[in-house]
Amino acid sequence: MKSFNFTQFHHKMNRVKSLFFASAIIVFGGFFTSCEDVIEVNVEQKQVKLVVDAFVNTMDTVQSIRLTQSIPYFATPGTEPAVKDATVLIADTSNFKVFPFVHTQDGIYQWKPNKNTGDTFVVGRNYALLIIQGGDTFVSVSRLNPTVSKFDSLRTVPQEGNGPPFAGPGRYLEMFADDLPGYGNYYWIKTFRNDTFLNKTTELTISQDVGNNGGPAEGGLFIYPIRFQGVNQFTRPYRDGEKVRVEIHSISMETFYWFQLLLNESNNGGLFSTPPVNIRSNIVSLNRNSQRGLAGFFCMSDVVHKSMIIRE
Amino acid sequence: MHRKYAVLITALLILTNQIFAQKITISGFIKDKSSGETLAGATVQAQNSKDLAKSNSYGFYSLSLAAGKQIIEVNADGYQEITMDLNLEKDQTLNFMLEPASETIEAVDIRAKKNDNIKKIDISTQSISGKVIKKIPAFLGEADVIKSIQLLPGVTTVGEGASGFNVRGGGIDQNLVLMDDAPVFNSAHLFGFFSIFNPDAVKDVQLVKGGIPANYGGRLSSVLDVTTKDGNNQRYQANGGVGTIFSRLTLEGPLVKNKASFLISGRRSYIDFLAKPFLTNGLEDSRFYFYDLTAKVNYATQKDKFFLSTYIGDDLFYAANAFGVKWGNSTATARWNHVYNKKWFSNVTYYYSRYRYNLEFTNGGGDLSFNWTSYIYNNSLKADFKYYQNSKNEWGFGGSSTYYTLRPGDATATNPTQGAVSFSLPNKYALENAVYITEDYNTNGRLSIRAGIRISQFLYLGKGNVYSYGQPFAEGQRRFVDSIWQAGNNEVIASYINPEPRIGFKYQLNKKESIKGGYNRMVQNLHLISNTAASVPFDVWTPSTNNIKPEIADQYTIGYFRNFRIGKQEFESSVETYYKDMLNQVDYVDGANLLLNQFLEGELINGIGRAYGLEMYIKKSTGKLNGWISYTLARSERKSPGINDNEWYASRFDRLHNLYVVAQYRFNDKWDFAANFVLSSGTPTTFYTGQYTVQGYTAPDAGTNARNNVRNPAYHRLDLAATYTRAKKGKWESNWVFSVYNAYSRRNPFSIYFDTDYQNTGINKAIQFSVIGSIVPAVSYNFKWN
Repeated sequence: MKSFNFTQFHHKMNRVKSLFFASAIIVFGGFFTSCEDVIEVNVEQKQVKLVVDAFVNTMDTVQSIRLTQSIPYFATPGTEPAVKDATVLIADTSNFKVFPFVHTQDGIYQWKPNKNTGDTFVVGRNYALLIIQGGDTFVSVSRLNPTVSKFDSLRTVPQEGNGPPFAGPGRYLEMFADDLPGYGNYYWIKTFRNDTFLNKTTELTISQDVGNNGGPAEGGLFIYPIRFQGVNQFTRPYRDGEKVRVEIHSISMETFYWFQLLLNESNNGGLFSTPPVNIRSNIVSLNRNSQRGLAGFFCMSDVVHKSMIIRE
Repeated sequence: MHRKYAVLITALLILTNQIFAQKITISGFIKDKSSGETLAGATVQAQNSKDLAKSNSYGFYSLSLAAGKQIIEVNADGYQEITMDLNLEKDQTLNFMLEPASETIEAVDIRAKKNDNIKKIDISTQSISGKVIKKIPAFLGEADVIKSIQLLPGVTTVGEGASGFNVRGGGIDQNLVLMDDAPVFNSAHLFGFFSIFNPDAVKDVQLVKGGIPANYGGRLSSVLDVTTKDGNNQRYQANGGVGTIFSRLTLEGPLVKNKASFLISGRRSYIDFLAKPFLTNGLEDSRFYFYDLTAKVNYATQKDKFFLSTYIGDDLFYAANAFGVKWGNSTATARWNHVYNKKWFSNVTYYYSRYRYNLEFTNGGGDLSFNWTSYIYNNSLKADFKYYQNSKNEWGFGGSSTYYTLRPGDATATNPTQGAVSFSLPNKYALENAVYITEDYNTNGRLSIRAGIRISQFLYLGKGNVYSYGQPFAEGQRRFVDSIWQAGNNEVIASYINPEPRIGFKYQLNKKESIKGGYNRMVQNLHLISNTAASVPFDVWTPSTNNIKPEIADQYTIGYFRNFRIGKQEFESSVETYYKDMLNQVDYVDGANLLLNQFLEGELINGIGRAYGLEMYIKKSTGKLNGWISYTLARSERKSPGINDNEWYASRFDRLHNLYVVAQYRFNDKWDFAANFVLSSGTPTTFYTGQYTVQGYTAPDAGTNARNNVRNPAYHRLDLAATYTRAKKGKWESNWVFSVYNAYSRRNPFSIYFDTDYQNTGINKAIQFSVIGSIVPAVSYNFKWN
């Protein structure tokens, strides 16, 4: 199946635009110097927002939802104050079964599935998130979509490649999985290298169907940029003995666009940047007049995964 | 309906003709004596009469006068006045050949003396001749049309490295840029450091910012009408220059003396040759250059004049193993002027124009690549008629029809497992028709009125998929397709008819003072889709469709014009204000995907705009020291559903204060000095104010009411130039231009953007980007052989 990867394309375009100008500048290097100065900017944080990190999945492990507050743009990430006094629960909208998430520490609220008692999430159902905090009630709904049915394998591919995207010759990862048939399947592909989640926005991989943004594709293998570029760190190839794990999470369409906006906003620099915008949350306050800002997202995911140890 | 009007107009013409029947009409062309070039905007008037005729853009004039003895004066900017005693008994054809004013120290601008700016009805209109453009200090010593008009009141730019220009709060796509009647879609070479107009080939440039006459249409904010030279029909001539960055050469001469001439003019940059030794490490194959070529021939008989002209230009940047981009316009124009008699003049134009860009990038090794090409073609036929009824009434009418083909994108992606994968967005087709009528009515007294109407029709045509979109989840959010149908060949998908009334007046208070004002409605059916800080050559143009409405602007302007004298020095001055309302302004959803998106229309939001301002201008065109000072106080705002909490926000190119000073000093026959100073308020920009973490990803946050919440620091810059003119030796004239751009090395911020230190702390930092961060000296050598 031949197809055209738009996500990759748009992503790439942003970089090309800056590159494009940068090279023009290089061309002119002999005539004048353009310059980039790091400057001190005084920006007042306009609104401290309640941040909800509610990505919950079907894996048989402890599920977490984290509540924090947004911090000033130039502050050190990781210093977000935790919000510990909330009531957090997820409810199955088909039978109103409630899954309470209990605060453990640092704003992390947890719940553990139990197969034996039937305390699990069911693919195809809608789940509601409810948060009560500071006199406000926040709600959201997410559909638990199925993920790929066929995650075939992982393999490594030797590359002679030099220069971007390859960081020199070495072994790079490729995954073989089939998109579900039909249109409108969305995935978030998470790669863990030696148990560390590759969490830079530059390493974020999402895919609409096989990766062609709704173009003609009835299932089939993820296209090359997703199944290859999407699971590698191009700063260094994999070495012998390294452990790698790839998870394919089903996500809702809203989540896909949320991620896309996150990608846009976090890589939105340079001369051809677009006006910064807020990445809109799918969680709303029941009080329509609430002036409280809210950020973050609620998404229910079905997950398949594969792991391997790299061997030469 | 239409017939009724035609009858009415004819009756009116006959009637008015009868009333003023005892007049004699003189008509003909006004030309440069040395080159035979026709002169636009030259004036012919009788000494004891208020009647004044202005030559049109082809140099034709027609003036009705009382019979008997008359002293006729003919003037044009930069030319010596002709005074002629005539005994008018019957209608006559009189062609005037004007001698260029010698550039002596005492050289006097004749037009200023005659107060033409006070007398003419032209509202918010500024002309610059090729000669003046060449004197303004310019970047790398290269005179430039667009850079020069950016020094006029009401005109601004987002900054160095930004293509195009903004007029009275309008976007860069809202200027109708015409080169010899053919529209140009991208007037920038090298990201706007230079424009595509070769100053050696430019005869004159007219910028109309308000009170736009009915013969122009299709863009909201302004008309930049660039007329190139016809070519010397008296003798062969060559001129050109060798500059720091490119070289120019123009050849012109008669094919048949007095009747036919040609002009061929070209430029090419050579930074690529100069940079060659420095390109190593796989960059050897890098190519980057631009060139342009203008060629014209014309043939004139007593009553007819034929022109054929063509322009081809390209910019190419190709960095080996990374990416390449190429863009360029080409146009071909055929024109036919015909003088039916002393009162009737017509011009018929056919043009073909094409704008194309190509973008490619490879992801290393060449096995991963994208290649993308886009085109806009247009074919147009238009006819314009002028009827010089009598000294009081001058009529213009005509029509045009343009067929557009837009190929938004043909793309190919290559990767090692799948090979080449092609993808094309379907072509878009449109037909734009317009008819107009306009009249200049001059009372014998002080009042002149210009009234006209243009009726434009825009048809968005098949074949193609037609989408209709549902409601967005929330205002300002992306809309998704809810139904699709297939339109057949030339099937009308959407049709828009818009009447565009235009009216202007001049009320002359006395010989030296007048008040001018006007109203115009403009309609625009081609839209540049760009949401980045600076426009890029590969931004997308899209026609009005069933989902994209025509942009409409109503502009009101009024101004006071006064000429005065201090001692021996003559000054022209003006104060103008304007207010502009804009409908159907294109805005973008959050995180819009604008490139290669077949559902592009779902990413667009329909907003409104308003702009208002005050422009002050004082010009001294006599004496050793001359130049102008222009100050503009302006606001440009936008409002779109779902953006900025539905409140007004400053547009990207909003600058409150703009001060431009242009000064030229003629020291002696050898040395000329010139300086420009520009001081403008910073452009608005949006800063993130907060951040948070979700799933390990750090997300920036802009808070509430955030669009364009911060101002960049002010922009200011001083440029200097000195010209050393060598004494003429035989047929050879030459000069050296020494210039300094950004004389005090100001680091003007183009933008402030943010970057994250991913490798270490993850802390965000703000980076101020200055396109030019240093002083830029340059030398160029110009010559002329004739």
